[in-house]
Amino acid sequence: MSSIQIQNVTKRFGDFTAVDDISIDIEEGEFVALLGPSGCGKTTTMNMIAGLEDVTEGAIRFDGQDLSRIRIQDRNIGFVFQNYAIFTHLSVYKNLSYGLEVKKVDRSEIDRRVRAMADRMSIAHRLDQPASSLSVNEMQKLAIGRSAIVEPRIFLLDEPLSNLDAGFRAYMRAELKVLQHEFGQTMIYVTHDQIEAMSLADKIAIIDQGKLMQYGAPLDIYNDPQNRFVANFVGSPRMNLVDGELREERGELHLMLHGGAEIPLAGKVRADFTSDARVHSGSFGIRPQDIYFGDRRGPTDITMHGKVEVLERVGPKRLAYLQVQETMFLAFDDQAQLEVGDDVPFFLPSDASMAFDLDSGRRLGGR
Amino acid sequence: MTDQTAPEISNTHAKAGYWTRVARDGQKMGFWFVLPTLLLLVFIVVFPLLMQLYLSFTWWTPLEGIPWYQAWEVFNWGENYWYMVTDPRFWGALWRTVLIMIVAVPAQFFLGMALAYLFIDQFPGRKLFYSIMLTPMMIVPAVVGLMFFLLFQGTGPINDHLGLPPEFSWLTDVNRAMISVIIADIWQWTPLMFLILLAGMLGVPSDQLLAARLLGGSNWQNFFKIILPRMKTVIIIALVLRAVECFKIFDLVFIMTNGGPGVQTETISVFLYNQTFGELEWAYVATMGLSILIALSILAMKGLSYMAKK
Repeated sequence: MSSIQIQNVTKRFGDFTAVDDISIDIEEGEFVALLGPSGCGKTTTMNMIAGLEDVTEGAIRFDGQDLSRIRIQDRNIGFVFQNYAIFTHLSVYKNLSYGLEVKKVDRSEIDRRVRAMADRMSIAHRLDQPASSLSVNEMQKLAIGRSAIVEPRIFLLDEPLSNLDAGFRAYMRAELKVLQHEFGQTMIYVTHDQIEAMSLADKIAIIDQGKLMQYGAPLDIYNDPQNRFVANFVGSPRMNLVDGELREERGELHLMLHGGAEIPLAGKVRADFTSDARVHSGSFGIRPQDIYFGDRRGPTDITMHGKVEVLERVGPKRLAYLQVQETMFLAFDDQAQLEVGDDVPFFLPSDASMAFDLDSGRRLGGR
Repeated sequence: MTDQTAPEISNTHAKAGYWTRVARDGQKMGFWFVLPTLLLLVFIVVFPLLMQLYLSFTWWTPLEGIPWYQAWEVFNWGENYWYMVTDPRFWGALWRTVLIMIVAVPAQFFLGMALAYLFIDQFPGRKLFYSIMLTPMMIVPAVVGLMFFLLFQGTGPINDHLGLPPEFSWLTDVNRAMISVIIADIWQWTPLMFLILLAGMLGVPSDQLLAARLLGGSNWQNFFKIILPRMKTVIIIALVLRAVECFKIFDLVFIMTNGGPGVQTETISVFLYNQTFGELEWAYVATMGLSILIALSILAMKGLSYMAKK
């Protein structure tokens, strides 16, 4: 078990910068998700932690110790591959025992630990069968068990759930959380699925185009995104993010949206937009569940008018697509009162709205 | 009684009869389609074999002037086979061929395996070295023979390089002639072994190798536990291929030593050649050729099934 310090790590492949000056501190025993779209550099970051890729600049330390000169086989890092990399020519037993056999652990000790791990991962009934005969779900368990049995200092998982069917994925998500507590391991988990990251991780590092966008606890990231990318990436359904130019008329500040509509800014979000005088074009963000209908609840809440284009059932609620000129807002119809084609007023609570600089994507103001 | 059975049943019988008939007609038609090829195959493969079998039971030689179809006039009831079994020169040639095989093939295997292991990872100039590595295999064996003939001359570069006197002969020395031939064979055919084994080695999934390394396996351990078991089929194919090929070794020996000194490097093929064109014992050659073919086929099949079981 180790803490990991990723310090200003950069990775270049020729002219291409895959990872750009990323710094992440991971505490001992923490469960961290590296989250980002495909090709963002999260797997490269993971590979550098594992030592599969060299670091171009910066350093990765384990408990303050730089492992870059230590061979991969001596690093004691548990790694679960996306496709599991099961030794298909060996039996399930031999797969589990591999990490112990190569360390010349005593036969009886190997047998005890293999059986314990097989019991733990509930694949004991498969021990003597060829690993190639396992189902995908069992291979997943075997892959985790095979890495866990050698008690690695850290545990890296590369999109471990992406090949599973939906039902088993939900089960495995819960199982991983339990396992992490049981092993008490520092775990790093690469995923492009924000729901997985949100539900599993103690902390999430969001990466885009090789840059660290935000690093923090899931709720902090959700409630307080530091830039437009994170705001857009985290949350389901996605946050409404509408772009426009700031214009001041007779003491009123408006965001003139590119779709033709305008948002009269007020209260906190107005203060946010004006916090940096250099900003002229901005992005207004509000989560669908923060928009409400009916009577105005707060003095600074922004009133908008829109036409209900589509009503979509999402679980017990309905999601309304509200057309304002060329701009679409998504909102939860919490009172089930809307009809398609209605022209309705809706309200954007100023305190729940977020302001971003359109050019840099930076969050303006704050919580 | 049987007439009382339901009409549907007899109907289905009729149907089944119809379809089997179509299938049979189809097979018949198929037979006519493949017949030309079959005849060609019979002519190319079976006929020469049968002729060889037939001639091996006669005294037929070109000296008698008897046409082959009248060779039965000199039928000898298998005396050729008896002669072969008691011919020390035949056994000598067979032993030398086997000797080349049991020395050269393992050497080619280990060298090829080591080279293939070097070539799994990318390194600068890999493509160039790869092409150079494969060159010996591409050269006509007769030319390789000539190359080594020149290299191993008393006044040639090898002696010169090793600082040996011109009197130190390779190709005309009783023991060293065989060594020279084996070296030439290893030089020429290691690349084939390398090529096959490299293909097999690259077929081992790289993520499994990585997983093995991450689990703490050393390169040696991973090689023996992951790479080698996964290459089993390829290894069997490579070994059998080279072992059988070894029996055909002719060009190298013929040019380097012509079987000499004496018969010290006479392999089966060279012996057959000498018997054919020197002694003109054609029926005897047919006897030996057929025997070796049968023996090799049995050995190859046994070997394959034995190794496949392991």
